Amino acid sequence: MAENSIVLGMADLMVVPAPIKLITLGLGSCIGLVVYDSFAKVAGMAHIMLPNSRGLSASEKVGKFADTAVPAIIEEMLKKGATRTRIKAKIAGGAQMFALPGMSADFLTVGAKNVNETMARLRRMGIALVASDTGGNKGRTIEFSTSNWMLKVKTLGKGTNEI
Amino acid sequence: MSDIASFNALQLDAIKEVGNIGTGNAATALSGLLSRMIHMEVPKTEMVSIYELGEHYGDPLQIVGAVFVRSLGGFQCSLIFIQNEEDANLMVELLLKQQFGTFIPVGEIPQEMTDSALSEVGNIVLSSFLNAINMLLGTQHQISVPGVAHDMLSSILDVVASIYGQMGETALLVNTELRVEGLEEGRKISGHIILIPDPDALELLLKKLKVM
Repeated sequence: MAENSIVLGMADLMVVPAPIKLITLGLGSCIGLVVYDSFAKVAGMAHIMLPNSRGLSASEKVGKFADTAVPAIIEEMLKKGATRTRIKAKIAGGAQMFALPGMSADFLTVGAKNVNETMARLRRMGIALVASDTGGNKGRTIEFSTSNWMLKVKTLGKGTNEI
Repeated sequence: MSDIASFNALQLDAIKEVGNIGTGNAATALSGLLSRMIHMEVPKTEMVSIYELGEHYGDPLQIVGAVFVRSLGGFQCSLIFIQNEEDANLMVELLLKQQFGTFIPVGEIPQEMTDSALSEVGNIVLSSFLNAINMLLGTQHQISVPGVAHDMLSSILDVVASIYGQMGETALLVNTELRVEGLEEGRKISGHIILIPDPDALELLLKKLKVM
């Protein structure tokens, strides 16, 4: 059966039943988080922009921050029939697009902080992180297939990596 | 920090005028570097949703060459000089031929060298842009070493989202375009300068201009 595809924008978060392809384009320092339960055939993706929601109003999109996106996507997975112990996660993104020699600013290293916070939140919720393609200085486009549960990561100049 | 959405027309106009002064100086510097006429567009002050940055500046997946610098002086901001990859390549070719003669085999030069040329163009454009603003505001001028990237537009603009995302959902940007004139038929080179004032720096700017 052919897979329809959904493209997620910045800060979007979505959980869907298979078969469907979940896509996020042009991730720089942002994170593409994928969670899935291959037995219940349900999967989710979030396009996370920043590590921490501290000091921000509750009206913000939950997908924007790692600390709000991870609990929200797991809760949504459970609502759609997933079993917590079967949920697996994959992440891609978190690059540092610009390196300024001799300078470290918060917003330049936000990619690494996004990776760390997302991984920490998954660990805290007991979700197994089974694959990742993170860091470096290149943007990524990702596609998650719910027919083989593989995440295709395309990087400029480096081709496609399937994890 | 003041709320970006609450700025009035006069204040937005003042920010645009700052962009205008910066652009004039940047165009002059680029013109001197390349010995060409430079056409400049009137800058725009834009409030852009951080979720739509990629789409706002064109095809989010198009490959661009970008030079990024950070102002470390009194007026805190970030600046990006961003070009289509083809325009960036042509710009580098023009500069190298200008410096080393028309027989230089541009296609065979290693990327580190062409990147170095591109970062120099970006550095001169952005530094001149910033310098004019600092002169106007009476703030100290100090600028970081430039960083260069070639990548998808939306990946590059993540840096804007990460500066403004921590405060809210809207970024305030000053956007302007420079175009090199007098090229051979069918060729074009243009580049966008995007000024990303730190949210806190906007208040300083408006106070110095006496519109706050």
